[in-house]
Amino acid sequence: MFEFEVPEVDYTRYSNRQLVAVPLAVLVLSLAVIGGWWAVTGAPVDRGIDFTGGTELTVGTNATLTNEEIEATFDEPVVSVQGITTTSDSTYKNQYVVTFDNSTSVSSVRSSVQSAEELSLLGSGTTSPLFGGQNQRLAVIGVGVAFLGMSLLAFAFFRTFVPSIAIVISAFSDIMIPLAIMNLLGIKLSLGIVAAFLMLIGYSVDSDILLNNHVLRRSGGFYESTYRAMRTGVTMTLTSIAAMIVMAVAATIFGIGLMADIGLILVIGLTADLMNTYLLNVTLLRWYKYEGANR
Amino acid sequence: MSTLRENWRVTVLVALLLTSAIALFVPGVPPGTGADAPEQGSTSEQLTNLNYGIQLSGGTRLRAPIVGITAENVNVTQADSTQLEQTVADELDLDTVDVRVRPISSERSTGAVEVVTKNVTHQELRTALENSGYQPTNVRDGVTPETRRQMVEAVDEKLRTSALSGASVQIVNVPGGQHFLSITAPDRDREELVDLLNERGTVKIYAVYPGGENGSFVREEVLKRSQMSDISAANREGVGWAVYITVSPDAADGFAQRMVDAGFGDGAPCGNYNHSDIQQTTAGESAGPALSNDEPGCLVHTLNGEVVTARGVTPGLGESFANGDFANDPVYVMQTGSSENPAETASEIELNLRAGQLPAPLDLSEDSGSSLDPALAEQFKQNSLLTGLLAVLAVSLVVYMRYKRAEVVVPMVATALSEVFILLGFVAFVQYPLNLSHLAGFIAVIGTGVDDLIIIADEILQEGEVETGRVFQSRFRKAFWVIGAAAATTIMAMSPLMVLPLGDLSGFAIITIVGVLIGVLVTRPAYGDILRNLVLDED
Repeated sequence: MFEFEVPEVDYTRYSNRQLVAVPLAVLVLSLAVIGGWWAVTGAPVDRGIDFTGGTELTVGTNATLTNEEIEATFDEPVVSVQGITTTSDSTYKNQYVVTFDNSTSVSSVRSSVQSAEELSLLGSGTTSPLFGGQNQRLAVIGVGVAFLGMSLLAFAFFRTFVPSIAIVISAFSDIMIPLAIMNLLGIKLSLGIVAAFLMLIGYSVDSDILLNNHVLRRSGGFYESTYRAMRTGVTMTLTSIAAMIVMAVAATIFGIGLMADIGLILVIGLTADLMNTYLLNVTLLRWYKYEGANR
Repeated sequence: MSTLRENWRVTVLVALLLTSAIALFVPGVPPGTGADAPEQGSTSEQLTNLNYGIQLSGGTRLRAPIVGITAENVNVTQADSTQLEQTVADELDLDTVDVRVRPISSERSTGAVEVVTKNVTHQELRTALENSGYQPTNVRDGVTPETRRQMVEAVDEKLRTSALSGASVQIVNVPGGQHFLSITAPDRDREELVDLLNERGTVKIYAVYPGGENGSFVREEVLKRSQMSDISAANREGVGWAVYITVSPDAADGFAQRMVDAGFGDGAPCGNYNHSDIQQTTAGESAGPALSNDEPGCLVHTLNGEVVTARGVTPGLGESFANGDFANDPVYVMQTGSSENPAETASEIELNLRAGQLPAPLDLSEDSGSSLDPALAEQFKQNSLLTGLLAVLAVSLVVYMRYKRAEVVVPMVATALSEVFILLGFVAFVQYPLNLSHLAGFIAVIGTGVDDLIIIADEILQEGEVETGRVFQSRFRKAFWVIGAAAATTIMAMSPLMVLPLGDLSGFAIITIVGVLIGVLVTRPAYGDILRNLVLDED
């Protein structure tokens, strides 16, 4: 059985400039993608029905139907039809999630399925544009307040500017990178993804606090402290990534959208966090320790 | 004894695990699930005391705004309120049921007038009030807080009388002043729930008697819902199906007097009441022959504007109105024998009278909610459990690969799982309905939990043996600073969601926060103790 040991990175071989170049380039690139998306579509990221309003139906059938045949069941325009993997003990051989935009009334599409011979209605979810707008406002407030609170706590814990702002920048980048990748992959923002961002704030700060704590509050040289923090921190993040990969894959196969969303975003975000913590934060701390603190 | 005290953290953990096991598995332990719980029969075969939400057990949730507009700061007193209600209703061409005046009282310092239909504009309401001499400061969307409260009560009553077990209703306040009614009904699909709510059942009791102009009939509402104290439908011998309405004591005399004034004092035969004409304003041909008695008259009962039954008054009953006996036993019997299905009609009237009508309709075109088939929910439940287990397995594998020491890894995974177990016990005890978002919260808890345990393990197992308790304590305290700080930020990040009504996300945040608290205060410190014992034993 193979094992892993967190490798010791020889940071002395690289200058501060070289080390921060990669995470900063990725952050700038992400912001460019988000900004470009904003300029073209009017929103920083495509919003799902939780925010725009719309209806989602889950239907089951024992017949083998094409997406076109399912769409033909409805008079209303169908946005998408997506198949879900079923297990042997499912009631129906095939299950699909059919999405409609916010001009569709949930009762009329429900009755379309109920009167269709081959389809059975298993579930429906609907969000009115009014609620969607509200969700959007509240989600922005929620993430904003969470981020602000986290920043304040970071400053309260370390009481020095550079190490604290390093935590804030890294958490910011941890959210922006998955947001940009969502745009590239065509994933729409849902409430589950908002939850994932908040979890990401929590996870991201964990490893940053650990690193700052080892470097600033413990005795020992900078590189030795950094390596000890890395050994713990990288293990932590890799554990979480492993769990989230499994969750994202399993939930996607099972068609549990909320858990799949959370898993995917956390895999991307935690990977970004590895880069940000051990390239960006470490460099900022090194600069602070050797140059900044003496000023 | 001293080992117990030294390992008090482990002791607390074991005690909490036992408590959780009791809360989870012993039937009837969580409050409200005892023998007196109505749905005992259906829950008795359940393995645990966990309460599942609609995403994991099927059912329907609706969230919709209440239809209505409200004019605020209307200086209307209690004395003028009935008059104003009538005037505004006439002016806007509405039924008085749809206009409500909230006069100045001990509870509210300014009056308000609300209209609960869709087709009245802000300006129309303002004009109607100004025509009556009132100057509202503003007209806004939405209804008054009193109406919202009544909505919750009325819907709750409807849900209970319709035998929907486990259904619940509440007001959701959105920052910015909007309010929604949120209704959850397990085991019902959306259509059934909407039908139940849409039944804005209005039962009215009229006396129809001669005395109008040109020989026409007068129609007067003689008994209102507010004057009834008890309502029950029953099939009694000699009477058949009927709804028994007890008139409240302070209204009984007034009701009897109204009946006497309307000429029912000697009883009245109803005859061929024309069911298609509620008003029965003219003694037309159909009503003519039978109502041509000296003192004819009918008691007419309508449901949603349609006549259900029309009956005369027996001389005996008439006499009891006249001599005051009625007030001694003020039971009004509404027989339904003449309708097509007497039993169904009786229970429908009972339901509508009991639940009353909703004070205002719900705007279902703005509804947000979900409905899930129980079979699919069951599938979600099993699959998400499987997903969670796979995630735990992945975590175990990674930490095993890193530490390669069973005495470090096994307690680590066990501690993380015990955190989830205690959290489940807590959820079962407070009977919080579990949904998919909560399961995501469980996974978040395992994630932060294992992170913290790795910090503890690395700190304690670092080079230099843990020979003395003091070294252990110092290392433990160092590890704990990081854990505490991380927990504080996680709780900070989640707390906005707890208060913002973002549906599923609130549950996710609550589970995560409670889980992190249990973890930081109990389970994660206990892992330190366990590790110390195992590591010290070895050395």
